[in-house]
Amino acid sequence: MEFLGYERPDGSVGVRNHVAVISSGRCANEMATVIADAVPGATPIIHTHPCVRLKDDNDRALRVLAGLGSNPNVAAALVVGIGCENPSPGKIGEEIAKSKKRVEVLTIMESSGFQDLMDRGLAITRSMVAEASQLQRKPFPLSYLTIGVKCGGSSAVSGIAGNSVTGRVFDRLIAEGGTAIFSETTEVIGADHLLAKRAINEEVARRFREAVDRMEARIKATGEDIRGSQPTRGNIAEGLTTIEEKSLGALAKTGTSPLQGVLEYAEKPKGKGLFFMDGSAMTSELVSGEAAAGAQIHIYNVGGGISSSFRCPPGWLGEIPILPQIAVVSKPSKPRDHLESEFFDIYAGTIIEGTQSIEQVADRLFEEIIAVASGKLTKREMRSGYREPIVMYTTGPIL
Amino acid sequence: MKRALVINPKDNTATALNDIEAGEMVSLASSSGRIIGEVKAQQAVPFGHKLAVADIGRGDKVLKYGEVIGLATQAINKGDYIHVHNVESALLPPPKEVG
Repeated sequence: MEFLGYERPDGSVGVRNHVAVISSGRCANEMATVIADAVPGATPIIHTHPCVRLKDDNDRALRVLAGLGSNPNVAAALVVGIGCENPSPGKIGEEIAKSKKRVEVLTIMESSGFQDLMDRGLAITRSMVAEASQLQRKPFPLSYLTIGVKCGGSSAVSGIAGNSVTGRVFDRLIAEGGTAIFSETTEVIGADHLLAKRAINEEVARRFREAVDRMEARIKATGEDIRGSQPTRGNIAEGLTTIEEKSLGALAKTGTSPLQGVLEYAEKPKGKGLFFMDGSAMTSELVSGEAAAGAQIHIYNVGGGISSSFRCPPGWLGEIPILPQIAVVSKPSKPRDHLESEFFDIYAGTIIEGTQSIEQVADRLFEEIIAVASGKLTKREMRSGYREPIVMYTTGPIL
Repeated sequence: MKRALVINPKDNTATALNDIEAGEMVSLASSSGRIIGEVKAQQAVPFGHKLAVADIGRGDKVLKYGEVIGLATQAINKGDYIHVHNVESALLPPPKEVG
């Protein structure tokens, strides 16, 4: 099977064709936004990472910003900064340059002032957009796709509908030679022993257990024991009996493929197949990390409860402007057409209603992935141009 | 007829897709949508909760998604409502070895 994508100089394939204007530090957010907003086809990537962070968090910020610039959905990138921040604009540019695409770096410290930087930034961005706009989509096998996933608003229907559907889609993608990334270290606690058994070797299993142990230790340091608190009273009322059942429902989205590797947050996978990425269950942090790791498409599974009634207001899914998100909703809803047509790309409530099987909804999601990969806009992409600064996973204190 | 989903062929539990009353017959569907049998609910089972599709002995593994979600703390009959009153985690507390 094939999709129509944009070939990049490093051999990767984009499903979108953005020119990214990346702010290296929060002080440069305004410059990045003003430049990108002035050039149709350019997309600002802004964030709130401050200088007052420790090395681990600065390293993560570098991986996120360089990773977003390197993402195959980006045709070319302009990094704008002050020049004194950490990670440095130059370092971000160097890392993006490894993907062989065009990247330019501008800093206030090397300019004669704000207006000088803006003028040069606009000229560069316009020339990048002119180049990118000449690229044509071409057919590529699905092995070029990397897809990330997140589930939110979990309920008793998440595991048996949206997550089971995503699991089957991931199995098919991986059978086609593609790559899938899942995260949420806190969510795998309870089913970690089962996932460790799916590791391709002892080293991967050990790295996986380490990531889980690290997260648990961090939680225990605050005086709470997450294992003892699960499932919550709300979960029990919804029918989840044990922590294993809750975590298995979350893990259903990973399918049955072997675990090829364990990634640090925002680290790129080496090779194809199923990968676990260390990180929190916070949507906005997770999508930044998965996009930075090279995911071109993201699947967002919304279970039930309040969140599906919420209808995902802008920002709720965690916005990464370069990453199309396919939103799946599992909760039965009437009228279903309203939910699906306005807010969600795939309505999986048919499984609960008994009108479609898990396999049939998986077929629909798989077709939607190929369509979106070939250029079909998602509901989120069409809703509005609203955006928020991206959010990154951090573990250290702010100094 | 009321319906419940057997997610994996190995499972000895099914998840209710409707609110089920005690004594009602329940149609069992597989993940491919095939009807694989039926069972009489022994107690009421709310939507999203589970019932047994086979007899489960005390201490035996309770399976959903093809995996162990816990151990039976008492004998469970086919059609029984399954929840925290007759199943406990195999991990917590104390951890037990599961296969």
